[in-house]
Amino acid sequence: MHKISVNRKRLLTFILLGWALILIGDRIGELRQYQGAFVAMYALAIASIILLTGYSGQLSLGHSALMAVGAYAGALSINNLKLNPVIALIVAALVAGIFGLILGIAAARLSGPYLAGTTLALAISLPTIANQFTILGGEQGILFDIGTPPARFGEGFSQYKWFFWISSLAALIMIWMISNLMHSKFGRVFRALRDNQTAAQLAGINVGRQKAVAFGLSAGVAGLAGGLLVMLISGVSPSAFPLSLSFSLLTGAVVTGVYDLKGVMLGGLVLVAIPEIADSIGSRVGGSDGFTMALPGFLVSALLILAVLFLPNGPGKLLKKKRNKQDNHTEGNK
Amino acid sequence: MLQFITAILTSLSAGAIYALMSTALVLVWRSTRVINFAQAGQAVLTTYIGYEVTVRTGSYWYGLIAAILSGALIGATIDRFFMRPIFKRIKSGPIVMIAPVVATLGLLGIIQAIIGFIWGLSYQTLAAPVSTDGYKISGTVIAFSPFNLMVLLSVTITMVLLTILFQKTNIGLALRASAYSPEIAKLSGIKVDAVRTLGWAIAGAAGGLAGMLYIPNSYLYPNGMDVLLVFGFIAAVIGGLDSLFGAVAGAMILGFAINFVATYVSYKLVFPTAFVILILVLLVKPGGLFSSSKGRKD
Amino acid sequence: MKRISIVSAVAVAGAMVLSTLPAQAADPGVTSTEIKLGLSSPQTGTVALSYGKLPKAMKAYFDYINANGGVYGRKIKLIARDDKYLPTQAATQTTNLVLNDKVFALVGALGTATHTKAYTAAQLAKNNVPDLFVNTGFSGFDNKTKYPTSFLILPSYAMEAKIIGKFIADTPTLKPQASFLVAQDDEFGVDGVNGFKLAGHTFTKTTLYPQGSLSSALAEGALTGFSAAPGKPVIVLMGTTDTTATILKAAEKLSLTTKFNWIVGSVGGDANTLLALGVKSTTIDGVMAASFFPDAKDTSDEYVSQFMKINAKYNPGVSFDNVVLQAMNTAMLTVQALRAAGKNLTRAGVISAIETKGSTFASAGLAPLNYSTTSHVGYNGYWFGQLNAKGELLPYITGKRTLYTTDSTTTSAPVLSTYERKPIPKNGIPTN
Repeated sequence: MHKISVNRKRLLTFILLGWALILIGDRIGELRQYQGAFVAMYALAIASIILLTGYSGQLSLGHSALMAVGAYAGALSINNLKLNPVIALIVAALVAGIFGLILGIAAARLSGPYLAGTTLALAISLPTIANQFTILGGEQGILFDIGTPPARFGEGFSQYKWFFWISSLAALIMIWMISNLMHSKFGRVFRALRDNQTAAQLAGINVGRQKAVAFGLSAGVAGLAGGLLVMLISGVSPSAFPLSLSFSLLTGAVVTGVYDLKGVMLGGLVLVAIPEIADSIGSRVGGSDGFTMALPGFLVSALLILAVLFLPNGPGKLLKKKRNKQDNHTEGNK
Repeated sequence: MLQFITAILTSLSAGAIYALMSTALVLVWRSTRVINFAQAGQAVLTTYIGYEVTVRTGSYWYGLIAAILSGALIGATIDRFFMRPIFKRIKSGPIVMIAPVVATLGLLGIIQAIIGFIWGLSYQTLAAPVSTDGYKISGTVIAFSPFNLMVLLSVTITMVLLTILFQKTNIGLALRASAYSPEIAKLSGIKVDAVRTLGWAIAGAAGGLAGMLYIPNSYLYPNGMDVLLVFGFIAAVIGGLDSLFGAVAGAMILGFAINFVATYVSYKLVFPTAFVILILVLLVKPGGLFSSSKGRKD
Repeated sequence: MKRISIVSAVAVAGAMVLSTLPAQAADPGVTSTEIKLGLSSPQTGTVALSYGKLPKAMKAYFDYINANGGVYGRKIKLIARDDKYLPTQAATQTTNLVLNDKVFALVGALGTATHTKAYTAAQLAKNNVPDLFVNTGFSGFDNKTKYPTSFLILPSYAMEAKIIGKFIADTPTLKPQASFLVAQDDEFGVDGVNGFKLAGHTFTKTTLYPQGSLSSALAEGALTGFSAAPGKPVIVLMGTTDTTATILKAAEKLSLTTKFNWIVGSVGGDANTLLALGVKSTTIDGVMAASFFPDAKDTSDEYVSQFMKINAKYNPGVSFDNVVLQAMNTAMLTVQALRAAGKNLTRAGVISAIETKGSTFASAGLAPLNYSTTSHVGYNGYWFGQLNAKGELLPYITGKRTLYTTDSTTTSAPVLSTYERKPIPKNGIPTN
């Protein structure tokens, strides 16, 4: 009984959140709508990292490549298979998920830095592969056109607002689904993998298989985020998924707490807002060429280091203690 | 035939440089369990310092010494004042894996920004101390110059010195013990913290040497060693992160694979080759080629 | 849990609502005293070597004009944003320029992968934002359906390839030789490869490399392979300056500099930069290059000397090279476009002004400008030159600079052009 109502509470929260976002979308200007769409997309991508690292304890430096797989799958579905854009986003998630599953199976025996190295190598090599096959459009890439907002929304409904709606709702739905998953038996299994693999194995968990599943799920989420990204920039090309994107996602995950999903929206906001704030500080401060150009990078990195030094477990740390108490209570009632 | 010889020679040269980077990464990994992405920034920074000394004194050799010494100093400083506070705050869980990675990434960004502040964003060149023209063997010029020879010799000497240090000296024993089991090492009276900082210093010095040996064949700019870091990391993983010998072996394997595939197949496949080699090795040996089976639990 | 999720949402919402912007009337970016222009280009990152000088050089020219009355009394303000040569950054920065900085027009946007995304993301077509003098050789931008407000300036890489192909075919010492193409595996390479195909030129071997991946080791391997060809093969290098320098230095190492006939592309062929990157002057001597500008070292050229003066005064400490020349040229064209639109400055006005009068604008380029109501193509030609040991690009046939013009998409051969460049307006200040 207790468990069911927790799920219902979560569903209600997400529905309220969705409603709030739609209302917000009406009030903010076009630029903020566009940026908001990016926030949602990054939040989703960060969620994929949290799913993989915070929940199942695997470190990936290559999520930019997984996003790219989803992005190309989505773009190809629209252009070559002429699918509906919404279906294309689902295809993006599925294809990336399957790719991630295969990768996860191959990498199941790899621990910590070895997995990290593999994903790093994947991240730098996948974009160049896109240039090998003409169907992938080379450097110019493939167009990804989500289409204009439906006519019934009226004249005033801008393209940016449409982006905002699609991005936010896609992210919301996906994060809700993951959240449910993580509060179920799946989540417990993943956390067992993270905390103590040997013990998990002794408890009868097929460690290799579960690790691969976690990887596949994480990849699917990343693939959807990749599809959203190329929707926002209206097309996919290899250079849209540089290694630095992987690092940014990790940064976002750490800054907002790698252990649970609550902070992802804040993480997305950080990834969008901080570079822009740094940019504007940089342009206001004078000084030599080298100084003004390097300043934004400096500020972003400094923030990152401060966050790691002072909030290594993210602002959600305090909440974790509270939730642990709740969880223990739930466990006791089993 | 000449193409084949060239491929071998260029692979050796490339592998040697990767070896220095992978060694530095392995040194830090063994002592702190951290993948130090800031290595790319440290190495470039120390090369800038070496460059300034070279320009002012007119001698590459003074610059080299400056780079190695400043590398050691910067490495030690980073461990003492940056990594140590971080580890004090992070004790357990997956955050132990990910937070230091992100922290070193942040550090990389800061170092590159500082370089931009001081030296601007344009490219500099560093002249090699010996000729970079290829040796002439019975009328044909081969892709191996006195400078390539110097690089190969320097790397070999460095690896020999490091091996002697680790296997034959007390300090080396302390370094290995602290990495293998810090608690027991502490009980034996080893100052684990100081020893760890020494490990970072040696890694920093190796990075400084790497930069001064690499940059004459490339260009000096803030992002100048980013690609090298990626290859160095992949090489270290191929060889097994716990093994210095593995670091060199992995670097050579990677160097040969990349150069041969590029020469005989396609230049477009440079990065995918690295990935394929890596995954082939790890499928067979998940801990890298030369990882010891009784390593410390990760 | 409920609490914190909503707190996050409110925090996000609050941040956004606080910066809601009021509605706009008329064309943004123009007041009675100021015109705001926007530039999204790579200021940091690996490509900054080639293009980092762009914003400041353009700004220097605009400052000069502002000090001399501006454009009908309006001062030009250039807002430059760093896109790191990444499509996502270009999309967001360009959108920022349009929606946040509210610029009147964009100038000098850079890169194909970057700008194709940015153009659509920032809805430039919908808002009729002029996209002036795009800094890329990608022929795809000349497309009134997809990019109605974009105006090219640089000749495309395809044009360059066609003209180089013709040059090789026309030159007796080059035609019978084996030929190799080494190109960056992106728009350079692809557009260039297509151009050579259109010219009917077949290479013995084409080598494409991902940007930033051609190390000296790999360059040495490639050159060794090429050296097996008999005679004096032609090598065409279409990449950025750092890679061009790497290849030339590898040739020095292998004593292969005189083995080949070198042809460098316009992007990687800036002799000043090559020398600064350590290439020997004896190597540069004799390298062939196509160009559509006068040589940046040619102080006898009136445009070069005028721009040099402006650079010295308004952009001190920065050496004058092809990039600076190109940037100032674009800035001068921009000023003429703004003037041609008249005192009542509108976006539509600027676009139609370039279409109707753009081909008569004064510019440093030696090829004609081809703006019309049906074409947004800028320069469409190249002349062929040879570098000397000082790094000066001189006409291949001494004293006779022959210009060829062509297009990007057909197999029609380049034609000899008799175009005479317009003289520079007095003191470099347009009065059109």
